[in-house]
Amino acid sequence: MSLEKPSRDTALDVGVTEDGLDYDALADLLGGHVLDREEHVNAEGFVIRPDEVQEVLSTLKEEAGFDHCACVTAQEYDDRYESIYHLRKYNDPTQELSIVVPSPKDDPHNESAARVYDTADWHEREAYDLVGIDYDDHPDLRRILLPETWQGHPLSQDYNQDQPQIVSLREHANPLKDDKRSEDDPDTMFVNIGPHHPATHGVLHVETVLDGEQIADLEPDIGYLHRCEEQMCQQGTYRHQIMPYPDRWDYISAGILNEWAYARAAEDLADIDVPEYAQVIRTMSAEMCRIASHELALATFALDVFGDFTAVFQYGIRDREIVQNLLEDLTGQRLMFNYLRLGGVAWDLPEPREEYFEKIRDFLDDLPHKLEEIHDLVTGNEIFQMRCVDTGVLSPEQVKQYGATGPVARGSGVDYDIRRDDPYGYYDELDWNVVTEQGGDNFSRVLVRLREVEESARIIEQCVDLLEQWPEDDREIQANVPRTLRPDPDKEIYRSVEGAKGELGIYIRSDGTDKPARFKIRSPCFSNLQTLPEMSQGEYIPDMIASLGSLDIVLGEVDR
Amino acid sequence: MQSAPLPETLANLLGLDPNSTAVMILLSLVGAGLIGTLMMTNTALAGPWAKRKITAAFTDRIAVDRIGPYGLFIIVADAVRLLSKELIVPEGVDRPAWDLAPLIIASTALLGFAVIPMGNGIHLADPEVGLAYVFAVASTTSIGLVMAGYASNNKYSFLGGLRAVAQNLAYEIPLILTGASVVIFAGSLQMSEIVAAQQQSLIGPLPSWYAFVNPFAFVLFMIANLAEVGRNPFDIPEAPTEIVAGYQTEYSSVYFVLIYLGEFIHIFLGGAIIATIFLGGPAGPVLPGIVWFLIKIWGVFLFTQWARSAVPRVRIDQLIEIGWKGMLVLSLANLLLTAVIVGVTVQ
Repeated sequence: MSLEKPSRDTALDVGVTEDGLDYDALADLLGGHVLDREEHVNAEGFVIRPDEVQEVLSTLKEEAGFDHCACVTAQEYDDRYESIYHLRKYNDPTQELSIVVPSPKDDPHNESAARVYDTADWHEREAYDLVGIDYDDHPDLRRILLPETWQGHPLSQDYNQDQPQIVSLREHANPLKDDKRSEDDPDTMFVNIGPHHPATHGVLHVETVLDGEQIADLEPDIGYLHRCEEQMCQQGTYRHQIMPYPDRWDYISAGILNEWAYARAAEDLADIDVPEYAQVIRTMSAEMCRIASHELALATFALDVFGDFTAVFQYGIRDREIVQNLLEDLTGQRLMFNYLRLGGVAWDLPEPREEYFEKIRDFLDDLPHKLEEIHDLVTGNEIFQMRCVDTGVLSPEQVKQYGATGPVARGSGVDYDIRRDDPYGYYDELDWNVVTEQGGDNFSRVLVRLREVEESARIIEQCVDLLEQWPEDDREIQANVPRTLRPDPDKEIYRSVEGAKGELGIYIRSDGTDKPARFKIRSPCFSNLQTLPEMSQGEYIPDMIASLGSLDIVLGEVDR
Repeated sequence: MQSAPLPETLANLLGLDPNSTAVMILLSLVGAGLIGTLMMTNTALAGPWAKRKITAAFTDRIAVDRIGPYGLFIIVADAVRLLSKELIVPEGVDRPAWDLAPLIIASTALLGFAVIPMGNGIHLADPEVGLAYVFAVASTTSIGLVMAGYASNNKYSFLGGLRAVAQNLAYEIPLILTGASVVIFAGSLQMSEIVAAQQQSLIGPLPSWYAFVNPFAFVLFMIANLAEVGRNPFDIPEAPTEIVAGYQTEYSSVYFVLIYLGEFIHIFLGGAIIATIFLGGPAGPVLPGIVWFLIKIWGVFLFTQWARSAVPRVRIDQLIEIGWKGMLVLSLANLLLTAVIVGVTVQ
């Protein structure tokens, strides 16, 4: 059966039982480190001392098998600061544990987790940048989203929004000025790739040190597209005002997948059940988004490797256009869908339904032929293989260290897909496969996306079958949801869905009002992008560009 | 088939004395002007219009079709647009070299056409070392590329310039070695002789063009030529997604036009060389020679555009490897084999 979970490594099964995780066993494992235990909606939270973070996390990682640090959430309470490390397992993401690290109000700092999970490096930098917690023993604690000269931490309580942010040219860091690397070694050269460069897929700045044509050192510099999405969500009401924002994270056709991330978290927070009919529509439209997104990823990757707006790019866009039209028929929008609602979807399928189903079926019928064409032109091309096979290699261990998810993880043979492992929507009722490739190189990642398009098509086809036969009097598109949602105070939840780029997670803490007290987005691209230096070290510039393309990042989601 | 070079034809046409040096110098300049204009016209057609149309056809688009019939007036519009743009001279460029580079790139390729027989007596000069001359002037373009790359004071340009040199070195040699195998067949470096040697029949109606006599050499030459003119899979020196635009990153306005012009003329010169030494020059049935000649060079142009639309770019180290380890060996083998075969059969 395709949806079977991979077998587990039994040695790391502390507290694993048939009906979920036994948190007492885990607490026993940690012994006196656990000061207190909190009840979060998705998992228990263990409160630990701020100077024992590394010890606790290494124990959990080495002995209890929590190899995935999905997210680091930082927030400020009236009396303390708090960092939450959301841990889960790559072979079973339903086994979750939150490590809650409070730190004092006047001098917030706790030990960094970056020595245990490489992915925590950027996540903690973001927490430092936006909330203002200092992480001791962090390898490189600098601001990550905001400019180096920014005054204050915008998500902290005493932040003065009216304070002018004066970033003069004199103060502003000149990336060349402090770079002694090229001076020490006359054979290397410092190059800024981006923020304005044909291959950076948005506004990404990659500080690169070259040795000849080879990458000696590389550091992605992000934040150019930071739009305070988390804060905007914190200022919107659950019921209606937040839903339009997710469309703007991964804004390239993955809208409904993003909306679902918010919908899932908020529905679980407020105990809303979604009618099955709506779940099927959600599943179908989300998979359409995935196809559109993967087609675009392929097109732009081809753009990077082929070198121009060539045939493959146009073919990718052409095929995406058809899905885009289907989504437009359904939602009325081409990119910013705003189609999901808490408890369901905005409206039913477009009338006449038969015509719409016909359109979808036409698309699905043509798809194999089109993919064949793409395979002929791209993956079957020997020069393409020469360029992509064994370049930008990412080992499964690196994937887990950096918290990479989605096609990037599956391209390295890490069998991790939230749709199957932590089922939501209608996925567990349908017959489809999780695609993995073992290569870990650029080629595998492209192949994974192309094969996922086929799987998504299978899912859509089954959804269409279901929807066609759905009895007319049972087409409930929305659950009965109160006009104003006020989840109980101090409920905390971290929930994720499989976005186009990987695990898109949302952390929400409610405070009894109709707006979230903390809204944190775990962006898959943010974690995936962290692997770029590992992939590109010692390779040629063209390989780095190809790796960047195969990561398929969207800067709107990286920077949020 | 042997016709007098263009200046003499002009002299006879105008009734001037072909033995007077002054007249011949004057008429040579006129002839050069004519040929230059002919090639520039082709380039003007190819650059702003045909290239767009061809690429669009390959990629399921329509491209320019609003201005004039089939969008042809875009040529005029683009000329005005490009020439009226501001010429931005970045700080710290190495002035004389930076200014000269576009001129060198554009002019060296044009020089090559002096010895190409285009049919109907359009043939400016016919020196005995014609083929050697063409290769010589065509490869001087590299100097322009290095100058552009080095003088621009830009790291992307610098990388592009270095890539251009590495690439031209690696592919110039196979190109010339393959050309030399044709010379062995023809027994002459003179262009008119090479064309004349291809006029007999090979089998039935098939002429003995060297593309048919030695298809292996033809394929090698076509590939090396792609690298020579910097089109996919060998567009390494520009590589827009890697090093922005390579050596031409800092050029705008007229200089940009000159560099692009140079590139297109270079593609046509490559086409002209291929037409002359492999495709029987201006030979062909019914239509006049010049038309056949243009059809052949446009055919080669079409081939480069096809490659550009459909083939991925190789990496710089792979390019060098293919050049030195593959092309060079193959072209040497081809040269030796040709020499042996010709030596045996001529005896």
